[in-house]
Amino acid sequence: MATISFDLVSPENLVFNDEVGTIIIPGKDGDLGILPGHSKVMSSLRPGRVMVYSEDKNLIKSFFVSGGFTEINPEKCIVLAESVVEVNSLDKILIEKEIQELENKEGKEPEEQLSVAKAKLEAINVNYYDKI
Amino acid sequence: MPSLKDIKTQINSVGSTRKITSAMKMVAASKLRRSQEKAEAARPYSSRLEEMLASLASSAASGEGIIKLLTGTGNDQNYIVVPVSADRGLCGGFNSSINRETFKLVKSLEADGKNVQIMPLGKKSRDFFYRVMKDQITESFVDLNISNTGYDSALQVSNKLQELYFEEKFDKCILVFNKFKSAISQEVTKQQLIPLDVSNSSKEENADDSSAKAIYDYEPDEETILKDLLPKNVSIQIFKVLLESDAGEHGARMAAMDNATRNAGEMIDSLTLKYNRTRQAFITKELIEIISGAESV
Repeated sequence: MATISFDLVSPENLVFNDEVGTIIIPGKDGDLGILPGHSKVMSSLRPGRVMVYSEDKNLIKSFFVSGGFTEINPEKCIVLAESVVEVNSLDKILIEKEIQELENKEGKEPEEQLSVAKAKLEAINVNYYDKI
Repeated sequence: MPSLKDIKTQINSVGSTRKITSAMKMVAASKLRRSQEKAEAARPYSSRLEEMLASLASSAASGEGIIKLLTGTGNDQNYIVVPVSADRGLCGGFNSSINRETFKLVKSLEADGKNVQIMPLGKKSRDFFYRVMKDQITESFVDLNISNTGYDSALQVSNKLQELYFEEKFDKCILVFNKFKSAISQEVTKQQLIPLDVSNSSKEENADDSSAKAIYDYEPDEETILKDLLPKNVSIQIFKVLLESDAGEHGARMAAMDNATRNAGEMIDSLTLKYNRTRQAFITKELIEIISGAESV
Protein backbone atom coordinates (compact mmCIF):
# COMPACT_ATOMS: atom_id res chain seq x y z
CA MET A 1 0.00 0.00 0.00
CA ALA A 2 1.11 3.51 -0.78
CA THR A 3 1.89 6.30 1.62
CA ILE A 4 1.22 10.00 1.62
CA SER A 5 3.57 12.64 2.99
CA PHE A 6 2.07 14.60 5.83
CA ASP A 7 3.24 17.95 7.30
CA LEU A 8 1.67 19.47 10.38
CA VAL A 9 2.96 23.02 10.78
CA SER A 10 2.31 25.55 13.52
CA PRO A 11 3.54 29.16 13.37
CA GLU A 12 6.31 28.29 15.80
CA ASN A 13 7.59 25.05 14.34
CA LEU A 14 7.14 21.98 12.18
CA VAL A 15 5.26 19.59 14.46
CA PHE A 16 5.01 16.47 12.34
CA ASN A 17 6.59 15.43 9.08
CA ASP A 18 6.53 11.86 7.85
CA GLU A 19 5.13 9.39 5.35
CA VAL A 20 1.84 8.03 6.66
CA GLY A 21 -1.05 5.81 5.56
CA THR A 22 -4.14 7.81 6.44
CA ILE A 23 -4.96 11.16 8.01
CA ILE A 24 -8.27 12.39 9.34
CA ILE A 25 -8.68 16.18 9.38
CA PRO A 26 -11.48 18.27 10.88
CA GLY A 27 -12.54 20.28 7.83
CA LYS A 28 -14.88 23.22 8.22
CA ASP A 29 -17.77 21.36 6.59
CA GLY A 30 -16.97 17.95 8.06
CA ASP A 31 -14.14 15.54 8.64
CA LEU A 32 -11.87 14.68 5.76
CA GLY A 33 -10.23 11.28 5.46
CA ILE A 34 -7.05 11.59 3.44
CA LEU A 35 -5.58 8.56 1.69
CA PRO A 36 -2.69 8.50 -0.79
CA GLY A 37 -3.85 9.77 -4.17
CA HIS A 38 -6.48 12.10 -2.76
CA SER A 39 -7.73 14.75 -5.16
CA LYS A 40 -6.58 18.33 -4.78
CA VAL A 41 -8.41 20.11 -2.01
CA MET A 42 -7.89 23.28 -0.06
CA SER A 43 -9.95 23.68 3.05
CA SER A 44 -10.11 25.63 6.26
CA LEU A 45 -10.38 23.76 9.54
CA ARG A 46 -12.56 23.85 12.59
CA PRO A 47 -11.20 23.12 16.08
CA GLY A 48 -10.82 19.38 16.45
CA ARG A 49 -8.62 16.33 16.17
CA VAL A 50 -6.07 15.63 13.47
CA MET A 51 -5.49 11.89 13.51
CA VAL A 52 -2.52 10.23 11.88
CA TYR A 53 -2.50 6.53 10.98
CA SER A 54 0.19 4.20 9.74
CA GLU A 55 -0.14 2.17 6.53
CA ASP A 56 -1.78 -0.72 8.39
CA LYS A 57 -4.38 1.58 9.92
CA ASN A 58 -2.89 1.85 13.39
CA LEU A 59 -3.26 5.20 15.07
CA ILE A 60 0.18 6.82 15.33
CA LYS A 61 -0.68 10.16 16.86
CA SER A 62 -3.61 12.42 17.41
CA PHE A 63 -3.30 16.18 17.72
CA PHE A 64 -5.71 18.87 18.73
CA VAL A 65 -5.74 21.93 16.46
CA SER A 66 -7.64 25.12 17.17
CA GLY A 67 -8.23 25.90 13.52
CA GLY A 68 -6.19 26.56 10.40
CA PHE A 69 -5.94 25.39 6.83
CA THR A 70 -5.09 22.33 4.86
CA GLU A 71 -3.79 21.80 1.39
CA ILE A 72 -4.07 18.33 -0.08
CA ASN A 73 -2.73 16.90 -3.29
CA PRO A 74 -2.21 13.28 -4.36
CA GLU A 75 1.30 13.02 -2.89
CA LYS A 76 1.23 15.41 0.00
CA CYS A 77 -0.98 16.80 2.72
CA ILE A 78 -0.10 19.97 4.60
CA VAL A 79 -1.94 21.23 7.64
CA LEU A 80 -1.29 24.79 8.81
CA ALA A 81 -2.65 25.02 12.33
CA GLU A 82 -2.70 27.90 14.74
CA SER A 83 -2.01 25.97 17.87
CA VAL A 84 -1.16 22.30 18.03
CA VAL A 85 -1.20 20.08 21.11
CA GLU A 86 -1.08 16.34 21.37
CA VAL A 87 -4.42 15.08 22.60
CA ASN A 88 -2.68 12.93 25.23
CA SER A 89 -1.11 15.97 26.83
CA LEU A 90 -4.38 17.85 27.29
CA ASP A 91 -5.48 18.16 30.90
CA LYS A 92 -9.18 17.53 31.37
CA ILE A 93 -9.49 19.28 34.74
CA LEU A 94 -7.71 22.41 33.53
CA ILE A 95 -9.93 22.66 30.47
CA GLU A 96 -13.11 22.22 32.50
CA LYS A 97 -11.96 25.04 34.73
CA GLU A 98 -11.22 27.19 31.68
CA ILE A 99 -14.69 26.54 30.30
CA GLN A 100 -16.29 27.56 33.56
CA GLU A 101 -14.33 30.79 33.64
CA LEU A 102 -15.11 31.60 30.03
CA GLU A 103 -18.81 30.92 30.42
CA ASN A 104 -19.01 33.81 32.85
CA LYS A 105 -17.47 36.25 30.43
CA GLU A 106 -19.19 37.99 27.60
CA GLY A 107 -18.02 39.31 24.26
CA LYS A 108 -16.72 37.91 21.06
CA GLU A 109 -13.29 36.79 22.15
CA PRO A 110 -14.27 34.67 25.15
CA GLU A 111 -16.95 33.11 22.99
CA GLU A 112 -14.38 31.99 20.45
CA GLN A 113 -12.09 30.72 23.18
CA LEU A 114 -15.01 28.87 24.70
CA SER A 115 -15.79 27.03 21.50
CA VAL A 116 -12.11 26.03 21.22
CA ALA A 117 -12.07 24.86 24.83
CA LYS A 118 -15.25 22.85 24.33
CA ALA A 119 -13.77 21.25 21.26
CA LYS A 120 -10.71 20.36 23.34
CA LEU A 121 -12.86 18.64 25.92
CA GLU A 122 -14.66 16.76 23.21
CA ALA A 123 -11.34 15.71 21.70
CA ILE A 124 -10.37 14.07 25.00
CA ASN A 125 -13.70 12.40 25.59
CA VAL A 126 -14.54 10.92 22.23
CA ASN A 127 -12.88 7.82 20.89
CA TYR A 128 -14.37 7.33 17.46
CA TYR A 129 -11.72 7.14 14.77
CA ASP A 130 -9.40 5.46 17.27
CA LYS A 131 -9.77 2.34 15.17
CA ILE A 132 -10.48 2.58 11.47
CA MET B 1 50.63 64.61 34.30
CA PRO B 2 48.35 62.05 35.95
CA SER B 3 49.71 60.27 38.97
CA LEU B 4 50.41 56.56 39.02
CA LYS B 5 47.33 55.95 41.10
CA ASP B 6 45.07 57.71 38.58
CA ILE B 7 46.33 55.55 35.74
CA LYS B 8 45.96 52.41 37.80
CA THR B 9 42.30 53.27 38.56
CA GLN B 10 41.65 53.94 34.91
CA ILE B 11 43.16 50.61 33.90
CA ASN B 12 40.99 48.84 36.41
CA SER B 13 37.82 50.52 35.26
CA VAL B 14 38.49 49.81 31.59
CA GLY B 15 39.27 46.23 32.60
CA SER B 16 35.89 45.78 34.25
CA THR B 17 34.14 47.34 31.28
CA ARG B 18 35.88 44.82 29.10
CA LYS B 19 34.63 42.01 31.29
CA ILE B 20 31.08 43.26 30.94
CA THR B 21 31.23 43.72 27.19
CA SER B 22 32.76 40.32 26.61
CA ALA B 23 30.10 38.71 28.80
CA MET B 24 27.40 40.56 26.86
CA LYS B 25 28.92 39.37 23.64
CA MET B 26 28.73 35.76 24.73
CA VAL B 27 25.16 36.15 25.95
CA ALA B 28 24.19 37.75 22.66
CA ALA B 29 25.86 34.94 20.74
CA SER B 30 23.88 32.26 22.50
CA LYS B 31 20.65 34.21 22.22
CA LEU B 32 21.36 34.74 18.55
CA ARG B 33 21.59 31.03 18.00
CA ARG B 34 18.27 30.45 19.71
CA SER B 35 16.40 33.18 17.88
CA GLN B 36 17.88 32.07 14.60
CA GLU B 37 16.51 28.60 15.24
CA LYS B 38 13.12 30.10 16.00
CA ALA B 39 13.17 32.14 12.83
CA GLU B 40 14.00 29.04 10.84
CA ALA B 41 11.28 27.02 12.55
CA ALA B 42 8.71 29.62 11.59
CA ARG B 43 9.72 29.59 7.97
CA PRO B 44 7.77 26.51 6.74
CA TYR B 45 4.48 27.95 7.96
CA SER B 46 4.87 31.34 6.37
CA SER B 47 6.13 29.98 3.09
CA ARG B 48 3.20 27.51 2.89
CA LEU B 49 0.79 30.29 3.70
CA GLU B 50 2.24 32.46 0.99
CA GLU B 51 1.90 29.61 -1.50
CA MET B 52 -1.75 29.14 -0.61
CA LEU B 53 -2.42 32.85 -0.81
CA ALA B 54 -0.72 33.18 -4.14
CA SER B 55 -2.91 30.50 -5.67
CA LEU B 56 -6.02 32.06 -4.15
CA ALA B 57 -5.22 35.70 -4.77
CA SER B 58 -6.22 35.62 -8.41
CA SER B 59 -9.78 34.68 -7.48
CA ALA B 60 -10.32 37.88 -5.55
CA ALA B 61 -10.82 40.63 -8.08
CA SER B 62 -12.41 43.12 -5.79
CA GLY B 63 -14.52 42.94 -2.72
CA GLU B 64 -15.75 44.29 0.53
CA GLY B 65 -14.85 43.46 4.10
CA ILE B 66 -11.85 41.30 4.79
CA ILE B 67 -10.92 40.99 1.13
CA LYS B 68 -9.83 44.60 1.42
CA LEU B 69 -6.65 43.36 3.07
CA LEU B 70 -5.73 42.10 -0.36
CA THR B 71 -7.29 44.59 -2.72
CA GLY B 72 -6.79 47.78 -0.71
CA THR B 73 -9.25 50.52 0.09
CA GLY B 74 -8.81 52.16 -3.27
CA ASN B 75 -7.31 55.21 -1.62
CA ASP B 76 -3.71 56.19 -1.23
CA GLN B 77 -3.91 59.00 1.24
CA ASN B 78 -3.41 57.74 4.77
CA TYR B 79 -0.32 55.79 5.70
CA ILE B 80 0.72 54.04 8.85
CA VAL B 81 4.40 53.33 9.31
CA VAL B 82 5.53 50.63 11.73
CA PRO B 83 9.19 50.80 12.73
CA VAL B 84 10.38 47.61 14.44
CA SER B 85 13.23 48.27 16.87
CA ALA B 86 14.68 46.56 19.91
CA ASP B 87 13.74 47.24 23.50
CA ARG B 88 17.32 47.64 24.61
CA GLY B 89 20.32 49.53 23.41
CA LEU B 90 24.02 48.66 23.23
CA CYS B 91 23.67 47.07 19.86
CA GLY B 92 25.53 49.44 17.57
CA GLY B 93 23.58 51.15 14.83
CA PHE B 94 20.69 48.70 15.01
CA ASN B 95 18.07 51.01 16.48
CA SER B 96 19.30 54.30 15.13
CA SER B 97 19.30 53.06 11.55
CA ILE B 98 15.67 51.97 11.91
CA ASN B 99 14.73 55.33 13.38
CA ARG B 100 16.62 57.24 10.73
CA GLU B 101 15.07 55.31 7.84
CA THR B 102 11.59 55.62 9.30
CA PHE B 103 12.06 59.32 9.84
CA LYS B 104 13.16 59.74 6.23
CA LEU B 105 10.23 57.68 4.96
CA VAL B 106 7.73 59.68 6.99
CA LYS B 107 9.18 62.96 5.76
CA SER B 108 9.15 61.88 2.13
CA LEU B 109 5.54 60.66 2.39
CA GLU B 110 4.55 63.91 3.99
CA ALA B 111 6.28 65.81 1.22
CA ASP B 112 3.97 63.98 -1.19
CA GLY B 113 1.01 65.29 0.76
CA LYS B 114 0.07 62.06 2.56
CA ASN B 115 -1.13 61.75 6.13
CA VAL B 116 1.25 59.59 8.08
CA GLN B 117 0.76 57.86 11.41
CA ILE B 118 3.40 55.96 13.30
CA MET B 119 3.04 52.82 15.34
CA PRO B 120 6.43 51.99 16.85
CA LEU B 121 7.24 48.51 18.09
CA GLY B 122 10.00 48.37 20.68
CA LYS B 123 11.14 50.86 23.28
CA LYS B 124 13.94 52.42 21.31
CA SER B 125 11.83 53.62 18.43
CA ARG B 126 8.92 54.56 20.69
CA ASP B 127 11.17 56.83 22.72
CA PHE B 128 12.67 58.34 19.62
CA PHE B 129 9.36 59.15 17.97
CA TYR B 130 7.91 60.41 21.21
CA ARG B 131 10.62 63.04 21.10
CA VAL B 132 10.35 64.06 17.46
CA MET B 133 6.83 63.28 16.24
CA LYS B 134 4.68 62.82 19.29
CA ASP B 135 1.40 63.82 17.65
CA GLN B 136 1.59 61.19 14.96
CA ILE B 137 1.91 58.17 17.20
CA THR B 138 -1.34 56.23 17.26
CA GLU B 139 -0.27 53.29 19.35
CA SER B 140 2.92 51.67 20.46
CA PHE B 141 3.94 48.24 21.64
CA VAL B 142 6.92 47.62 23.88
CA ASP B 143 8.28 44.56 25.68
CA LEU B 144 6.96 42.25 23.01
CA ASN B 145 9.59 39.74 24.04
CA ILE B 146 9.09 37.71 20.92
CA SER B 147 11.51 34.94 21.79
CA ASN B 148 9.46 33.94 24.82
CA THR B 149 5.84 34.77 24.12
CA GLY B 150 6.09 33.96 20.44
CA TYR B 151 3.05 34.12 18.25
CA ASP B 152 0.70 35.70 20.80
CA SER B 153 2.45 39.05 20.84
CA ALA B 154 2.46 39.15 17.05
CA LEU B 155 -1.27 38.52 17.24
CA GLN B 156 -1.75 41.56 19.49
CA VAL B 157 -0.05 43.83 17.00
CA SER B 158 -1.88 42.39 14.04
CA ASN B 159 -5.28 42.65 15.73
CA LYS B 160 -4.68 46.29 16.51
CA LEU B 161 -3.58 47.00 12.96
CA GLN B 162 -6.61 45.30 11.47
CA GLU B 163 -8.92 47.11 13.84
CA LEU B 164 -7.49 50.42 12.68
CA TYR B 165 -7.64 49.34 9.07
CA PHE B 166 -11.30 48.43 9.16
CA GLU B 167 -12.10 51.67 10.91
CA GLU B 168 -10.52 53.19 7.81
CA LYS B 169 -7.86 54.98 9.78
CA PHE B 170 -5.26 54.19 7.14
CA ASP B 171 -5.00 52.85 3.59
CA LYS B 172 -1.52 51.49 3.52
CA CYS B 173 0.73 49.98 6.15
CA ILE B 174 4.49 49.87 5.78
CA LEU B 175 6.82 47.96 8.06
CA VAL B 176 10.38 49.15 8.56
CA PHE B 177 12.60 46.51 10.09
CA ASN B 178 16.08 45.07 10.14
CA LYS B 179 16.26 42.07 7.89
CA PHE B 180 18.59 39.42 9.20
CA LYS B 181 21.24 38.81 6.57
CA SER B 182 23.96 37.19 8.62
CA ALA B 183 25.16 37.29 12.19
CA ILE B 184 27.08 40.47 11.54
CA SER B 185 24.99 42.28 9.00
CA GLN B 186 21.41 43.51 8.97
CA GLU B 187 19.66 45.35 6.23
CA VAL B 188 16.98 47.96 6.84
CA THR B 189 13.99 46.78 4.83
CA LYS B 190 10.63 48.32 4.05
CA GLN B 191 7.73 46.01 3.46
CA GLN B 192 4.18 46.87 2.55
CA LEU B 193 1.96 44.80 4.79
CA ILE B 194 -1.51 46.09 3.94
CA PRO B 195 -2.77 45.80 1.27
CA LEU B 196 -0.90 42.60 0.64
CA ASP B 197 1.64 42.61 -2.11
CA VAL B 198 1.46 39.15 -3.68
CA SER B 199 3.07 39.95 -6.99
CA ASN B 200 6.66 39.04 -6.18
CA SER B 201 6.02 36.14 -3.83
CA SER B 202 3.69 34.40 -6.24
CA LYS B 203 6.25 34.63 -8.99
CA GLU B 204 8.87 32.90 -6.90
CA GLU B 205 6.55 30.18 -5.72
CA ASN B 206 5.27 29.35 -9.15
CA ALA B 207 8.73 29.19 -10.61
CA ASP B 208 9.80 26.23 -8.49
CA ASP B 209 6.41 24.61 -8.11
CA SER B 210 4.38 24.71 -11.28
CA SER B 211 1.86 22.21 -9.88
CA ALA B 212 0.65 24.88 -7.45
CA LYS B 213 -1.20 26.38 -10.37
CA ALA B 214 -3.32 23.30 -10.88
CA ILE B 215 -6.97 23.38 -9.98
CA TYR B 216 -8.00 22.75 -6.42
CA ASP B 217 -11.31 21.96 -4.86
CA TYR B 218 -12.12 24.52 -2.25
CA GLU B 219 -13.98 23.72 0.88
CA PRO B 220 -16.17 25.60 1.89
CA ASP B 221 -15.32 27.95 -1.03
CA GLU B 222 -12.52 30.21 -2.19
CA GLU B 223 -13.91 33.34 -0.67
CA THR B 224 -14.44 31.88 2.77
CA ILE B 225 -10.95 30.45 2.84
CA LEU B 226 -9.50 33.72 1.67
CA LYS B 227 -11.36 35.54 4.41
CA ASP B 228 -9.77 33.26 7.00
CA LEU B 229 -6.42 33.29 5.35
CA LEU B 230 -5.85 37.03 4.92
CA PRO B 231 -5.98 38.14 8.57
CA LYS B 232 -3.84 35.17 9.45
CA ASN B 233 -1.30 36.18 6.89
CA VAL B 234 -0.99 39.64 8.43
CA SER B 235 -0.24 38.07 11.82
CA ILE B 236 2.24 35.65 10.35
CA GLN B 237 4.06 38.38 8.45
CA ILE B 238 4.38 40.41 11.64
CA PHE B 239 5.52 37.33 13.52
CA LYS B 240 8.17 36.66 10.91
CA VAL B 241 9.37 40.26 10.95
CA LEU B 242 9.56 40.30 14.74
CA LEU B 243 11.59 37.10 14.76
CA GLU B 244 13.98 38.41 12.14
CA SER B 245 14.39 41.66 13.97
CA ASP B 246 15.05 39.77 17.20
CA ALA B 247 17.74 37.68 15.56
CA GLY B 248 19.17 40.83 13.99
CA GLU B 249 19.26 42.59 17.33
CA HIS B 250 21.31 39.83 18.92
CA GLY B 251 23.60 39.73 15.92
CA ALA B 252 24.13 43.49 16.05
CA ARG B 253 24.74 43.39 19.77
CA MET B 254 27.25 40.61 19.38
CA ALA B 255 29.19 42.58 16.78
CA ALA B 256 29.03 45.80 18.79
CA MET B 257 30.20 44.10 21.96
CA ASP B 258 32.98 42.33 20.13
CA ASN B 259 34.23 45.70 18.93
CA ALA B 260 33.91 47.20 22.39
CA THR B 261 35.87 44.36 23.91
CA ARG B 262 38.63 44.79 21.39
CA ASN B 263 38.76 48.56 21.91
CA ALA B 264 38.92 48.09 25.66
CA GLY B 265 41.85 45.71 25.19
CA GLU B 266 43.72 48.28 23.10
CA MET B 267 43.01 50.96 25.65
CA ILE B 268 44.35 48.82 28.46
CA ASP B 269 47.55 48.16 26.48
CA SER B 270 48.18 51.84 25.89
CA LEU B 271 47.34 52.72 29.48
CA THR B 272 49.70 50.05 30.77
CA LEU B 273 52.48 51.46 28.62
CA LYS B 274 51.78 54.90 29.99
CA TYR B 275 51.75 53.52 33.51
CA ASN B 276 55.13 51.85 33.12
CA ARG B 277 56.70 54.94 31.54
CA THR B 278 55.43 57.16 34.32
CA ARG B 279 56.72 54.76 36.93
CA GLN B 280 60.13 54.59 35.26
CA ALA B 281 60.28 58.38 35.05
CA PHE B 282 59.44 58.58 38.70
CA ILE B 283 62.18 56.14 39.70
CA THR B 284 64.74 57.95 37.57
CA LYS B 285 63.78 61.25 39.14
CA GLU B 286 64.18 59.83 42.65
CA LEU B 287 67.56 58.33 41.76
CA ILE B 288 68.79 61.65 40.43
CA GLU B 289 67.67 63.35 43.60
CA ILE B 290 69.46 60.80 45.78
CA ILE B 291 72.69 60.90 43.76
CA SER B 292 72.80 64.69 43.58
CA GLY B 293 72.10 64.81 47.30
CA ALA B 294 74.95 62.39 48.02
CA GLU B 295 77.37 64.36 45.82
CA SER B 296 76.71 67.62 47.60
CA VAL B 297 77.57 66.20 51.00
